[in-house]
Amino acid sequence: MFWHNYKYAFKTLLKNRALVFWTLAFPFILAILFNLAFARLHDYDVFEAIDVAVVNDAEYEKATVFSEAIKSVSEGDKRVFNTQYIDAMKASELLEDNEIVGYIYIEKDVPHVKVNGNGSSETVLQMTVEQIAQSSKMIEDIAMTDIYRRAGQTVNIEEIYRNAVKIVAETEPNIKDDSHVMNVVSIEFYTLIAMACMQGAMLSVEMMNRCMPNISNRGKRVAVAPTRKSTMILSNILAGYTMLLAAVVALILFTRYILGIEYGSDMRLIILLAAVGSLTATTMGMLLSVALKTNESAKNVIVLIVTMVGCLFAGMFGGQKGLFDAAMPLINKISPVGMITDGYYSLLYYGDSARFTMDVVSLLIVAGVFFALSIRSLRRQRYDSI
Amino acid sequence: MKNVIDVKHLTKSYKSNKAVDDLSFAVKEGEILGLLGPNGSGKSTTMNCILSLLKFEAGEIKIFGKEMAPDAYDIKTKIGVVFQDVAVFDELTVYGNIDYFCGLYIEDKAMRAQYVEDALKLVGLEENKSQYPKQLSGGLLRRLNIACGIAHKPKLIFLDEPTVAVDPQSRNNILEGIKKLREDGATVVYTTHYMEEVEILCDRVIILDHGKIIASGTNDELKALAKIEEKVTIEIPDLAPEKLAGFDKIKNVSEVEYDNGILKIVYRKGKNNLIDMMEYLKENKIHYNKIFSERPTLNDVFLELTGKELRD
Repeated sequence: MFWHNYKYAFKTLLKNRALVFWTLAFPFILAILFNLAFARLHDYDVFEAIDVAVVNDAEYEKATVFSEAIKSVSEGDKRVFNTQYIDAMKASELLEDNEIVGYIYIEKDVPHVKVNGNGSSETVLQMTVEQIAQSSKMIEDIAMTDIYRRAGQTVNIEEIYRNAVKIVAETEPNIKDDSHVMNVVSIEFYTLIAMACMQGAMLSVEMMNRCMPNISNRGKRVAVAPTRKSTMILSNILAGYTMLLAAVVALILFTRYILGIEYGSDMRLIILLAAVGSLTATTMGMLLSVALKTNESAKNVIVLIVTMVGCLFAGMFGGQKGLFDAAMPLINKISPVGMITDGYYSLLYYGDSARFTMDVVSLLIVAGVFFALSIRSLRRQRYDSI
Repeated sequence: MKNVIDVKHLTKSYKSNKAVDDLSFAVKEGEILGLLGPNGSGKSTTMNCILSLLKFEAGEIKIFGKEMAPDAYDIKTKIGVVFQDVAVFDELTVYGNIDYFCGLYIEDKAMRAQYVEDALKLVGLEENKSQYPKQLSGGLLRRLNIACGIAHKPKLIFLDEPTVAVDPQSRNNILEGIKKLREDGATVVYTTHYMEEVEILCDRVIILDHGKIIASGTNDELKALAKIEEKVTIEIPDLAPEKLAGFDKIKNVSEVEYDNGILKIVYRKGKNNLIDMMEYLKENKIHYNKIFSERPTLNDVFLELTGKELRD
């Protein structure tokens, strides 16, 4: 019965044009569009440093680690920024006159970027500042921990900061490295892979609806059949998951081998993360399907909103990730999109690291919780109305 | 004959609205039971409660002598259901749809292939088996819907208004198919608001209104509840008022209506009504073209019991 249902569920999914578009075609189209948008950045020889301004006020002076890092990426032949240090009013004027791509300022200890447009230079600016901000924060945290640890001792603050910089340099990507520009692009693609995984939630809603008599007529027919509900749901979900995983793997291969996006060297781990991410999205769709007392279209809209908000927080639409991380640090830690994006990011830089393992394990825990809650709601279910 | 379904004191409400109100009835093996009533009378709700799809406040439901529950798979194996709304996959062919739903009951592939062919033949879709649902007319789609519900040769079949919005040819095909299922030994519960179908098809009828049984019995038993004996219609192009008044005085006549050359007479229970009327026509030299008589219908019974038409 399981495989009979699986076979037909898979067959009907493959013939469902809307679902095939959203799960397969749409991420491919976005990948091609992203590639076109970032085409200029692929060519390192023609990459030009971005004209930026820094609001050089008391707040900026106070952020010593951050200001040093900005200074370092504004120097040398391979500099990322052509930086001028001016006051806020002048920076605003220059931006208005399009003489700079954007300006950096610090407000309440948090670095911000002000840009006018949303082109690739603006994205590189935002993501570079974001990455510098993250590294600076990490250096400061490590240094502060060291200072507290040595409480009561005579300490050399400069030495402590040097050590912190060294630790961060060993674990974080080098901002001045040539590959940095490509890394900015890679993150966009990682969020795209995460988004493709999240389409699993939509597939899952469709497959669950087929088993729910209060949502679909086919659900009524299935509910009166002598097949266990768990068998129906699992075979349906597995069919959706198979299609999703095939689509995500195809997208990874396409972006890696055709578009040249870096994922790191271990293909098994790359696929593992796609499989776990897709599983989490699939179980999320299951839970939303049973928890939301509304029709199929409304459920799909909610799934879409959850996915796109996750993508926004993970950095798909420009370099706002750092701002969101600063304002709402928990979101990317619990959002499947955030975890998948971070997983690929860490896989590229650190390989099979503790951070990658943590991302995979977290995704599995979230999937387990979603699955358990869904099954609990569905057992021996009868409805008030259908 | 033993009871296939036993429903006792079934009560189901949607918020404050009582959809099924202390309903008790039984369905005997091999019979076609009609659940007749206007829209909103509780027919589909009763069926969905019996099938364990809906929660209900009170009552007991047994099918094949066992209590029905969402996980009563041994009972479900013997049941086939055709819901009011068409429930098929647009992505599968006619054959694929029947095979899929039949496969939820029958695992043996060879047996299933035979059952699918039998179902196609029963509903007259052999020539359409490679077509997709979107290529079928409304009537053929309904037939496919039925085939998907009964292909596994169930012993008990629920049909919820299977002929809504179908053409006469498909309706006849569907009704003939249901008769054939009964001949093959199935027990059928048929819900509808078309009294003509019930009269043609059902051995026994339960008339529902506001979730309650207002009458039940065979067609003849129900019609006996009507206070009228028959309705006579006569085509009289020209009828003088004084002669029209004379019809009221004929024995057993309860209502007389003359409009546009058509005279309609309703008779109370009694004998020799037509003979008396023919004599009056002859005595008064009234010329008529056509004359025909109708027995009371279930609609008349419903009208008499509730004061409203079945299709109101």
